[in-house]
Amino acid sequence: MIGTSISRWSMTYFAMALAWLLAALVMMVAGIGYPAADLATPDTLVLVHMVCIGWLSLAMCGALFQFVPVLVAKPLFSEKWELPALALLSAGLVLLLAGFLSLGGRLPPALWLLPLGAVMLVGGFGLVVVDLGLTAWLRPAGPARFVLVGLASLCATAAFGAVFAFALAGCAGSAGEVILAEGIPLHAVAGLGGWLTLTAMGVSYRLLAMFMLSPDVDDQQSRWTLAAGAFAVAVTVAGGALAVGFASGLNVVLSISAILGLASAVLYGRDIAGLFRLRKRRHLELNMRMATLSFASLAGTGLLGIALVSIDAFPEQIGAFAFLAIFGWLSGLVLAKLYKIVAFLTWLETYGPVMGRAPTPRVQDLVAEGRATKWFVIYYAAVWIGTVTLLIAEPNSFRIAAVAMIVGVVGIAREIVRIRRLADVAGPQRLPIGTVMPHLLYANP
Amino acid sequence: MTEYIDVDVRPILRAGGEPFSVIMAALDNLESGQGMRLYVTFKPVPLFAVMLNKGFAHSERPLEGGEWEVLFTPAGAPQERTPAMTNSSFDNWPEPAIQLDNRDLDPPEPMVRILAAADNLGPGETLSALLRREPVFLFPQLEKRGFRWLGGFAPDGATYQLTVRAPL
Repeated sequence: MIGTSISRWSMTYFAMALAWLLAALVMMVAGIGYPAADLATPDTLVLVHMVCIGWLSLAMCGALFQFVPVLVAKPLFSEKWELPALALLSAGLVLLLAGFLSLGGRLPPALWLLPLGAVMLVGGFGLVVVDLGLTAWLRPAGPARFVLVGLASLCATAAFGAVFAFALAGCAGSAGEVILAEGIPLHAVAGLGGWLTLTAMGVSYRLLAMFMLSPDVDDQQSRWTLAAGAFAVAVTVAGGALAVGFASGLNVVLSISAILGLASAVLYGRDIAGLFRLRKRRHLELNMRMATLSFASLAGTGLLGIALVSIDAFPEQIGAFAFLAIFGWLSGLVLAKLYKIVAFLTWLETYGPVMGRAPTPRVQDLVAEGRATKWFVIYYAAVWIGTVTLLIAEPNSFRIAAVAMIVGVVGIAREIVRIRRLADVAGPQRLPIGTVMPHLLYANP
Repeated sequence: MTEYIDVDVRPILRAGGEPFSVIMAALDNLESGQGMRLYVTFKPVPLFAVMLNKGFAHSERPLEGGEWEVLFTPAGAPQERTPAMTNSSFDNWPEPAIQLDNRDLDPPEPMVRILAAADNLGPGETLSALLRREPVFLFPQLEKRGFRWLGGFAPDGATYQLTVRAPL
């Protein structure tokens, strides 16, 4: 196939991802894990991995299987790997979570679940990395380079995670114990900063330029953004590993990494501002307007970090900082872009065969932006209020904010299901002769 | 400094087509002193002799995935040109019956308009379209409908020129 066909299983990834997000939010409302429990408790580990692997990583993988071929204008290396990867990731995550629950005494002792789950996750992410990496490598320019650095960071994240899992099960020797004791910030920075943030940045360059009719960000310009981000991750992983090995200097390493990460975020802000400034399309669709709230959250995360460091409160408030990064910046951006991506792919899948031969709706006819706006506003407001409740240590208020987040996410998910079902397309244009109703959970390319 | 016109025949080659007539047609359209930058999926050794006869020196550079970029540079005074060959499975593509400038349309409108216009082409007719991006989602739709196409970025790198030909 020449060009880019519709990724068959991306919808499946998106559906699984949304299910994990809702499950994690229900846990927050129920008061399981942070902030009701400490950050390092097994319950919080369950929560964090539901969000970072189940929700963010699955949604990102689903989006990358569709958009890396667009970035490089080449077909995906192997479409056959998408579903086995999803199966391995899902099964691995369930086993890992069961291992954490067993670690915390909520399940009977079975710590062997942790390494078993980790091995399956490494297998699933391995398929993803090889498949996407071999595709992106064909034309490693512009946004594709962000994806390649993101995939490398994913490898580092998974490697640390696997060592932790074996160490928690007591079979990683004394070296494993040392890495487990000191290495968690390295795992978190590589995962949230390298894999999720750099990849989201790279994909956003192309999506924003496409949706707003802006010229692509110049490679010379974005390479500094990438270089700062890649250095931040590399310093954390390599320097951090050395510091853990020598049992000193980890704070220096993390400080250097934080400055580089901040520089990358500032440069990214400059790149994105340029895309908005040079856009030919003055009217912004809902997904773009909501993405600006996500960029604001990224800026807010940076400012919060600076403020917390300057008043010497960063270690106590790292949970609030991570919450804003995960739910304001990353989750907000993924939700806003999912809303657009699902509409576009559903439109292409349904109407592509008859386009030009029969009257077909526009992509915008598949969405009801007026109705969807309120769900996004509720979501972002809840995230920002939730961050404040964490900062001022009000766990009960936080649970109310989490309820509002659920309301927002359920509303957005319902809009996405309606898009998939063509529920808002009126009249005879909905299914002209020659079209078939798309399936909710997978695509018929 | 020689100005090069980009000719990308990789879509034709990947579709199992024969690009020779297209290359010759592009060659006929070159102005005096212009060269051609050709993108192909293999090193086109037989073409080098043909082009040398026509007064073009070649230099080639491998790209990723076994593909090649070949620069054909006019060497001194060009010799008299022979008529383009027409003995391949592709006849010379006719002048476009329809010309579209889709550069300032909101996506996916460029694709919709190209497909709508393509459906109005007579057998063997062509349309040309100017775009901002390589229309990666369009190609599978064209392929399903039996169209052939030829496309590449203009030397400015900002405009993608696409020619679509209806099945005979």
